[in-house]
Amino acid sequence: MKPKERVMKVFNREKPDVMPCFCVNGTPTYQQMEKVGAYWPEAHERAEDMAKLAMAAYTELGFDAVRAPFCQTFEAEALGCTVKWGGKENIPGIDHPVLHKLDDIPKLPDDFLERGRIPQLIEAIRIMKREVGDEVAIIGGIIGPFTIAGAMLDAVPILKATIKSPDKIHPFLEIGEQAGTLLGKALIDAGADLIAVEDMQASPDLIAPKSYQKLEVEYQRRQVEALDVPVIIHICGNVDKIIPFMEDTCCAAISIEPKSDVRVARKILGPEGILIGGVDTATTLFMKGPEEVRAGSIEQIEMGLDILAPGCAIAPGTPIENLLEMVKVAREYKYD
Amino acid sequence: MNYLTDTSNIFTRYDLNIEVAQQGARKVSGDEILQNVADFVINGDEDGIADVVKETLETKTPMEVINDGLISGMNEVSRLWDEGIYFLPQVILSSDAMNMGIAICEEKMGRSMDKKGKVVTHTAEGDIHDIGQVIVNALLNANGFEVVNLGADVPVDKVVEACRTHNPVMVTGTALMTTTMTAFPKIATQLKRLNLNIPFVCGGGAVSEEYVTGFDMGIWGKEANQAPGMAEDALGGDEWQAMRSKWNG
Repeated sequence: MKPKERVMKVFNREKPDVMPCFCVNGTPTYQQMEKVGAYWPEAHERAEDMAKLAMAAYTELGFDAVRAPFCQTFEAEALGCTVKWGGKENIPGIDHPVLHKLDDIPKLPDDFLERGRIPQLIEAIRIMKREVGDEVAIIGGIIGPFTIAGAMLDAVPILKATIKSPDKIHPFLEIGEQAGTLLGKALIDAGADLIAVEDMQASPDLIAPKSYQKLEVEYQRRQVEALDVPVIIHICGNVDKIIPFMEDTCCAAISIEPKSDVRVARKILGPEGILIGGVDTATTLFMKGPEEVRAGSIEQIEMGLDILAPGCAIAPGTPIENLLEMVKVAREYKYD
Repeated sequence: MNYLTDTSNIFTRYDLNIEVAQQGARKVSGDEILQNVADFVINGDEDGIADVVKETLETKTPMEVINDGLISGMNEVSRLWDEGIYFLPQVILSSDAMNMGIAICEEKMGRSMDKKGKVVTHTAEGDIHDIGQVIVNALLNANGFEVVNLGADVPVDKVVEACRTHNPVMVTGTALMTTTMTAFPKIATQLKRLNLNIPFVCGGGAVSEEYVTGFDMGIWGKEANQAPGMAEDALGGDEWQAMRSKWNG
């Protein structure tokens, strides 16, 4: 079975041959960069390098899906936020000065899809589709409304506003949702089979579950509905308390890191819900060896995963043999 | 025929609504006026705190307002946080309200109140993901420590310099990315060279116990919640070795 078929079968609620393995978040490592000759920072900025490095997840690791981009700044940059570039080793991030104050009314630029590096990202997905699109699933990555709003407002002001003046956040969520959805649709047009939404700041580590439910779920639901491919939502940290609300977004799959309890999520979602997860990217995949990766992956799978994945973006210094071992583990889970 | 006029609860999933059982804050003072001050802190009311503190200072001493109103209120916030009833935004709001109140009391006293001790906090060089540090700052503040907040993306030398100038009881470093945590052992080495034996607590998304306990002075912070307890230990005179064996391993 081709990797793409394997992945799409899970999303169609059919049985694949073996458990799929890919990463919902960023996939690059320095070793992959060396192997395919595409490096940071160029791969954050230029379509050809981005596509080449993204496809390394298939050609070098054997993942069942490839994914671009590798950072969380595309929408925010196009909206006008300042980007701090990460050089050869790091991913870009959002820097000061902050774009907006809470009393501002943000706007979505008419030429949003032509701004910043978005055209490069769209082109990268096109290249990936052309080169490996028949073989593997293509994942387009976008950022969740609350996290984009957080980039526009900065963390502390938006966190305080969730309690003090939640109404003032809505215009930002509105723009965040529209920005992500526009980008998501463009990535689908370019060939993405799946959309992965990273929404780091919506984690209960940062905001109250009630705030997630009242502020974010409706925008995520709208986004999921507007995108006509399966949408995966990934939220970092321990999300046990918001799994029921994440389910309310009607997303196709929920992606969690091992700070959350797979068993709790499985119980809430029932047998039908698609759950993606795996070992910790820092403490296990980056710091340990294949043996620990194997044991940890099996432990997470046994708790009820449908797709094995690194818990979050792969740390760029992660040894390739650890990632290969993870794929090997997934291959051993056969469905008949 | 009876019609249902309120349909809002029909689809409420009571079993999953984790905050239904939310309990209210407890009373922290027998004195009604000081309880009122505490309530403004507990409610994180930064807009109202100034007026209520000024009003209370007409009948109470600044130290009474600080200790039995502002700090007592914040202690209750810490309890609500520990029990998972309050989340980070509430702690930040309450901590800001408390600090605004303390500033007004200090103005009236004509001097600064004695803080427990200083803690220097920073996010590693190259890392602008300072959310972990935001949590640490809020919790340390809430527990009466003076936070010397160096912010995000702080060069090694700047951290070392701040430790030299402020002589803190503890220094913390957070890093989200595996690529930036390499600054921590460099900081530890320099501190050691300068004979500044300050417990250096490191934590954050990418940071593992194995990594932090691999260099002298390093203590691994698993959760931001541990920061106040660790700072108390450091304040009590625990050296990094004792703290490491208590909190790590």
